[in-house]
Amino acid sequence: MKLFDKYNRLNITATILTFLVGSCTFYFLLHYIFIDQLDETLQTEQQEILAYVKVHNELPEIIPTKDQYISYGPAIGNVNTSFLNVKNNYDKEDEDEREIQFTVLAGGKNYLVKVDKPLEETESLLKVIIGITIAMIGLILLVGYLINRVVIRRLWRPFYETIDKVKTYHLTDQETLKLEKLPIDEFSLLNQSINEMVDRIQQDYGSLKNFTGQAAHEMQTPLAVVRTKLDLLMQSEALLEKNAQHITDIEKAVQRLSRLHQSLLLLTKVENKQFMLNEDVALDQTINEKLAEYAEMTEALDLHVSARLQPTQIKFHHHLAEILVSNLLNNAIRYNVAGGSIDVTLADGNLTIVNTSTNPQLDDNGLFKRFYRGSAAEEGNGLGLSIVKQICDMAGYSIKYQYAANQHRFIIGFGPNVF
Amino acid sequence: MKILIVEDEPSLNKSMVDYLSAQQYLCESVSNYRDALEKTELYQYDCIVLDIMLPGGSGLQILQALKSANKTDGVIIISAKNELDDKIKGLSLGADDYLTKPFHLSELSVRIAAILRRKNLQGSNLLTFEEITVDIQARAVTVNNTAIVLTRKEYELLVYFIINKNRVLSKNTIAEHLWGDDMDMADNYDFIYAHIKNLRKKLINADAADYIKSIYGMGYKFSIH
Repeated sequence: MKLFDKYNRLNITATILTFLVGSCTFYFLLHYIFIDQLDETLQTEQQEILAYVKVHNELPEIIPTKDQYISYGPAIGNVNTSFLNVKNNYDKEDEDEREIQFTVLAGGKNYLVKVDKPLEETESLLKVIIGITIAMIGLILLVGYLINRVVIRRLWRPFYETIDKVKTYHLTDQETLKLEKLPIDEFSLLNQSINEMVDRIQQDYGSLKNFTGQAAHEMQTPLAVVRTKLDLLMQSEALLEKNAQHITDIEKAVQRLSRLHQSLLLLTKVENKQFMLNEDVALDQTINEKLAEYAEMTEALDLHVSARLQPTQIKFHHHLAEILVSNLLNNAIRYNVAGGSIDVTLADGNLTIVNTSTNPQLDDNGLFKRFYRGSAAEEGNGLGLSIVKQICDMAGYSIKYQYAANQHRFIIGFGPNVF
Repeated sequence: MKILIVEDEPSLNKSMVDYLSAQQYLCESVSNYRDALEKTELYQYDCIVLDIMLPGGSGLQILQALKSANKTDGVIIISAKNELDDKIKGLSLGADDYLTKPFHLSELSVRIAAILRRKNLQGSNLLTFEEITVDIQARAVTVNNTAIVLTRKEYELLVYFIINKNRVLSKNTIAEHLWGDDMDMADNYDFIYAHIKNLRKKLINADAADYIKSIYGMGYKFSIH
């Protein structure tokens, strides 16, 4: 629910309730005042009759008027002056009337005098007033709603603008989020706080990235020491005789570590957009070169390699293009089966690499994550596909993975970059 | 052949000196920018092994100094930074090659040999080992003056072996030399075995002695004994 709707709902409910209570009070108050006034008029009438009787010692003649009915009757005993609401049928049927009853002694006889005044006028006046009130309530609600709609929408606009900017913001873009100062204090505070937060995050992220980069760099030198010392140790055949396996294992571990570092460094560099994508790359040539490089492997594994490559030029980076292609081919070979196949198709700005494998379908979500491995026994460092993905993201290419009938399929769409 | 090694990490520096000295190179070593600049100004080297990040300055500055002094020393950059920019910058400043840490000493040795040959400092393009002669320029191999035909990988393997003669080379090292860093196939070692088997067969068929020795299953050594 939107804040505006929530506010509106509350507002309207409160307004209606207030008006309801107010209207009822208003109605009863008005009613009371009208009756009071009517009673006063009836009392004046009583005074007049009493005064007449006092002077003439007889009851005044009844002159029929439209809005006043007087009747005399014999009184049984003395009745106190009292006001009543009655229904009489003087004029119309079942008319509500206000009546004053009192006794008067005239010509030696006790009379009960009733003076009636119809309530009709009062009622209709009340109705008009209530009607106007209800109409006013409706009008006020409507106007209030419209004002809220228009004004609040407008008032909140800076808020939505901020949200839009925050939504499209990516930490890796390395641009600081600059939200402007606004005349409204609350929004200004919001923008300022977001700016400060982003700056802080940006700094933390920057130092983390620096650290990763530097750590990887710094580790290459000790690795170089280990590797060269191993090269020297190997020259002692007496040592080798007993420790060949140990030394081989150490060497493999050093190599893995070194590759891991290089891959992480590459990822960081791609992430930091340290490659300019302004070179004309003939993708079909790159693929052909890579296929030639891997020919020995594919032949040894008895893989059937078929390549249908349309000449395709893209604005890209040579080094990244090579990495992209070789990482995908590497996987297609590594996870293949002896006697399997690899199909490489480059057409209409799409590169499709399909390979057979005994591996089951890969997990769509984890596939491109760092250190993802389909199964534990695999040789890779788990960074190949995340590098591919990172390159695609950076260059604005799309990458898809499909699986059908023991065939793994990777499709890269180069989109509008093809020319 | 005089080689200057500029590397601030003492143990790495010593490794290189040890390995290269054993290959009959005359090695001098320095570990900071100032000393390196002084040495390069005073003496002429056949090859300089240059680290980029040095205490007191950058190896690239030394390159610049060499260039402006019109010195023709061969230079191979070794750097922990696998930065393409650095590589391009180094090469444009006159460096002959670029090697990223961590590297194998045998690889360094091959690169240095290539630089020396390119600069034609060894007098000829011929690489010889006993009865085997390799003409680097023509990429031709002869045994007792009889030409033999090698595949590209076998040829690279032979050159690598001759330059690193008498050294134990692990399969891993050989694989990295032949296929580069990108290929980390589990079956690489089988490929090496196949290539070595073929190379050995071709050499023996041409009446060369069997110089390729398997060392405890972990690697190979190219030597007379």
